[in-house]
Amino acid sequence: MSYLINALLLLLILTSTSVVLTRTPRRQGLAMAANGCVLSALFMTLQAPDVAFSEIVVGTVALPLFFYTALSGLRTGPRSDPEAAPLKDHNPS
Amino acid sequence: MTHFPYFVAVWLFAIGVVGIVRSRDYVQLIACLTVIQSATYVLLLAIGYKVHAGAPIFSDHPVGSPAVDPVVQALVLTDIVVGAAVTALLLSLVIQLRKRRGTIAPDTLQPMSD
Amino acid sequence: MTHRTRTTVLVFLLLLLVPLAVSGLTRLPAFGHYQGPYGDVINTITVHARHVTNMVSAVNYDIRGFDTLGEEFLLMSAVTGVAMLLRGGRGEATSARPTRVLRRRREGRSEAITGIGRLLAPITLLYGIYIIVHAQLTPGGGFQGGVIVFAAALLVYFGEGYASWRKTVRSTMLTLGETLGAAIYLCSGLYPLLSGAAFLQNTLPLGQIGTITSGGSIPIINLGVGCAVAAGFCSIALELLEETRLP
Repeated sequence: MSYLINALLLLLILTSTSVVLTRTPRRQGLAMAANGCVLSALFMTLQAPDVAFSEIVVGTVALPLFFYTALSGLRTGPRSDPEAAPLKDHNPS
Repeated sequence: MTHFPYFVAVWLFAIGVVGIVRSRDYVQLIACLTVIQSATYVLLLAIGYKVHAGAPIFSDHPVGSPAVDPVVQALVLTDIVVGAAVTALLLSLVIQLRKRRGTIAPDTLQPMSD
Repeated sequence: MTHRTRTTVLVFLLLLLVPLAVSGLTRLPAFGHYQGPYGDVINTITVHARHVTNMVSAVNYDIRGFDTLGEEFLLMSAVTGVAMLLRGGRGEATSARPTRVLRRRREGRSEAITGIGRLLAPITLLYGIYIIVHAQLTPGGGFQGGVIVFAAALLVYFGEGYASWRKTVRSTMLTLGETLGAAIYLCSGLYPLLSGAAFLQNTLPLGQIGTITSGGSIPIINLGVGCAVAAGFCSIALELLEETRLP
């Protein structure tokens, strides 16, 4: 089975380099998800099913979700002046 | 090759550091930080691997059958979950930074003076 | 420090440190020839010492249970930090009610996504609970099952929309779930002290190998960790999603 492990390691090099070299944030989230998939396949072939469980959900779903939500929050939040008063409560009461 | 996974871990670490130095805003920096974290996972799991050995689960194999090391797997699996929570904390720091300073590019942010 | 200075320092340091790392790592035993004694010892004795068949769970929650207690509190601190930063930035009101954004351009959610969400969310929730409960028998545990339950909650969000999701998943219940998880872990650590044993020692009856109740305190700790992880990740997602709703 060493061919499988070596092939997955080469694929991992490709996907992690793509995470670093992608410039658009929208594509970088998808590259992170692909990286998570390849990592979890590698962990399965290294006979670590528990670790592959964690990595599938975290690397493919949770991390890109936090990433995209933070990007969306960065675009909708107000830009504040550093010397201005602190932000007021936005929830309508 | 006998040491190939270790070299892959070094490559992941190096490319993550290159990404951090070359990043143009803090959100890309956090994505490169997750690449660095995955380098440690690969290194730890590669250390514990044995050829022709199975997973350390003995529900269907008898107890004496060869199995890989469970200690490094226990380390990595809690690390993955907690690493995601810490990444979320870093992202919320970036959101606060944007609110206070109006920008998230590391090149334009100067340290606080006065 | 300008961009160019940073890049030159980086190239210099990489040329210095990468050969050092490679030469150090080639002195490790070859890949696939693990030599250390502890893995083999644990694989040999734990099945009969603790009546469990998943060695990784036994290491996580029994043999090295103190480290996992620290990791769970790390998770709680990260979730508290996210809540403090984002709620503090929005104002002092809690996020008990969802912010309604008026006059926002909304594209309708397609029915396929709603159908997939409604079909898969209960199945994923059941699968996550199964993974938490069978921690000591098959691959799984509190951490893995907790994030799978979080994925089920996310499927509800994708299928139904933010307002319906907030009605299902309330932030007070999430806080309760997290503290319940930490309390279960601490209580199962303090309980052995009553009978004179050490903190977190496994003193409950070990049961029969292969049943759900085997392993003593391992299934109880797993339930706590699963609760805490699922509630913690849902809290993080709730705070981050609430952040995108500012007018």
